[in-house]
Amino acid sequence: MKKLLLATSMLIASSFAADAQTINILMEGVPDTNYVQQMLPEFKEKTGIDVQLEVVNYAEMHTKLVPQLVAPEGSYDVIIVDFYWVGEFAKAGWLQPLDERLAADGIDTSRYIPSIMNLTGTVDGQTLMLPFYNYAMGLTYRTDLLEDPKHQEAFKAKYGRDLKVPTEWQEYLDQVKYFSEDAGIEGFTGVVNQGQRPDPIAMEWSNYLFARGGRYYDEATWQPTLATPEGIQALEDYRDNIQKYGPIGAANFSFDDAFNVAAQGKAYSYLTFNMFRPVYDDPASSQVVGKMEIAPVPGGGLNGSWGWAIPNSSPDPEAAWEFIKFIESPEIAKKRAALGGAATQAAVFEDQELIDKYTYYPQLKELLESSHNFPVFTYTPQFVEVLGRELSLAVTDGKDPKEALETVDREFAELLKKDGKLQ
Amino acid sequence: MTAIARRDRRFGLVMSAPGLLALMLVVLFPVFFTLWTSVSDFTLLKPSNDAFVGLAHYANAFDSAEFLHTLTVTLSFVLAVVALEFLIGFAAALALDKVEHGKTFYYVVLLFPLLMNPVVVGLIWKMFLHPTLGIVNYVLSLVGLGPVDWLGTPDNAFMTVVLVDIWHQVSFMVVLLLAGLAALPKEPYEAARLEGAGTIRCFFWLTLPLMRPVIVVTLLIRLIFAVKTYDLIYIMTRGGPGQATDLVSYFIYRQAFVGLDISQASAMAVILLLAVLFLTAWLHRYMRSLAQ
Repeated sequence: MKKLLLATSMLIASSFAADAQTINILMEGVPDTNYVQQMLPEFKEKTGIDVQLEVVNYAEMHTKLVPQLVAPEGSYDVIIVDFYWVGEFAKAGWLQPLDERLAADGIDTSRYIPSIMNLTGTVDGQTLMLPFYNYAMGLTYRTDLLEDPKHQEAFKAKYGRDLKVPTEWQEYLDQVKYFSEDAGIEGFTGVVNQGQRPDPIAMEWSNYLFARGGRYYDEATWQPTLATPEGIQALEDYRDNIQKYGPIGAANFSFDDAFNVAAQGKAYSYLTFNMFRPVYDDPASSQVVGKMEIAPVPGGGLNGSWGWAIPNSSPDPEAAWEFIKFIESPEIAKKRAALGGAATQAAVFEDQELIDKYTYYPQLKELLESSHNFPVFTYTPQFVEVLGRELSLAVTDGKDPKEALETVDREFAELLKKDGKLQ
Repeated sequence: MTAIARRDRRFGLVMSAPGLLALMLVVLFPVFFTLWTSVSDFTLLKPSNDAFVGLAHYANAFDSAEFLHTLTVTLSFVLAVVALEFLIGFAAALALDKVEHGKTFYYVVLLFPLLMNPVVVGLIWKMFLHPTLGIVNYVLSLVGLGPVDWLGTPDNAFMTVVLVDIWHQVSFMVVLLLAGLAALPKEPYEAARLEGAGTIRCFFWLTLPLMRPVIVVTLLIRLIFAVKTYDLIYIMTRGGPGQATDLVSYFIYRQAFVGLDISQASAMAVILLLAVLFLTAWLHRYMRSLAQ
């Protein structure tokens, strides 16, 4: 009996030893994750390494990651990092620098669009991540209405300018007002907003801030600059769009609530993440197939992206690097983009084959190059909480816009001081 | 004590020791660890419990207008849901108590919401209540009523969350109160009937006093659970619009997992624990004094 047990346990042990090398990655359930999944057989064929993807909701990711990052050896070999967490992860020293690996393999990070490399690539001159996919925000709008001679004429008569893809902020606001008040379409609004706390409202309002020429802080001193005439005007614009020109309920819309309103053909425009642009053309979830297009937000919208990183707690950093090298190679980056992925490398947007397939690629590239970054520091997630709370109070008349932004500036400054950024 | 009794006693202690030990590890250890964490400086950015900071985190909590605000919102929420669920639940239990046929069917229907995960409840109601695409406003439009902004204004959002919680939790009250009603003795009612007492008199003079222990337990359990409401808020409003539905449990969660400030969150959790303990003790004594 003993011999039998011994033999069995040896057999089990040997089968484990013979098991192929496996790396684990925690990922979010989004389209780009599916495209990564489709590349895995090719990676296995090339390297013999198995990849296990654990796919969860965004809300669970941070809670699942942190305990693994704190541990001396965690269970994830590769992680993906939202730009939100970059400051925090870098400060805590959870990520392995990639510079030596990049140099050894002769990989040039200038192939990434600079604004994205800045956001989820380098931190204080050190490369901690390689950009994975972008989620910069853009202006999605109804092309059929914009091209309708009836609306063109009526708009010109009322606002004294042509109805066309807006390139100035005031021009866009006029269009919103026109489609809400003057166009005479039943149950239709000029805009739909995502006003829910904390990130939907904070991310969306950032576009308004940049469009009005406002900035979060002074680049040289980190002094917060929200309670300025530009910031206050941006918040008033936002409040008007929610209260006067949008559908009811927008003050509590998450991005899917808002997206559905636009995709069901009930709004002229929606400022949203560019990765939703292809979804408008999917008849399964859209009533406006072929009628929506994306353009840069006048004044430059909000940038957003995810990066690949190897945590210090990675059980197998070498295999992890093999995977990142593979998945971010120009060839695979193009394949992922062809499936619908939100690319981060400039060459992808210049690829003729892809431009033929996705005609909006030139606008998308312009959008990425012109977009602005959200403040990235150790306490970005808390800052988003503060910003979301005050913006939400302002759009539901719980606080005056100026007073709300003064509170944000004050609490933003406290967080920056705690982080040592502001003296 | 005889030798046999002593031996029995020792044997009893030995037998219960593993259970007591497990209970201490599972219940007492986390409570004491939370207390210790709340007086030290533990953040996930620097995960060690080495710096003792005294009551600083408690002082911060009482200094934080946002925390105090979430406490008042939570108090209104708890009062609203517990009172309304009790009234509706008791009425439903009284009605069901008299039902002769098809009781199982009613039970199944009533228990259905209770069996659902709060996250699912939040998601389906969020879809139903979508102001432009949801079914509720569509049905209202069929009878000529304009769309209601269920979650988009602070007052409406608070009431909507209360209503959804009632939909989800009221059957808990019904089931517990119904069990209490079914266990009431029949004799006092027969005697009262003989004396000529009507239904209303029977209710106030017999049912209510006899049910008091069950009512106290039901209210207490519901109250403690209501204070911990988190999932519905997380799914439906994230504490907004403004700060209208920012319940304290969700706020503490954010301190811990967004702010990574485990110590601050622990201090707030201890304050909440003490508040609930105090409330429970007070309610228990009040109800007992009524009974005497």
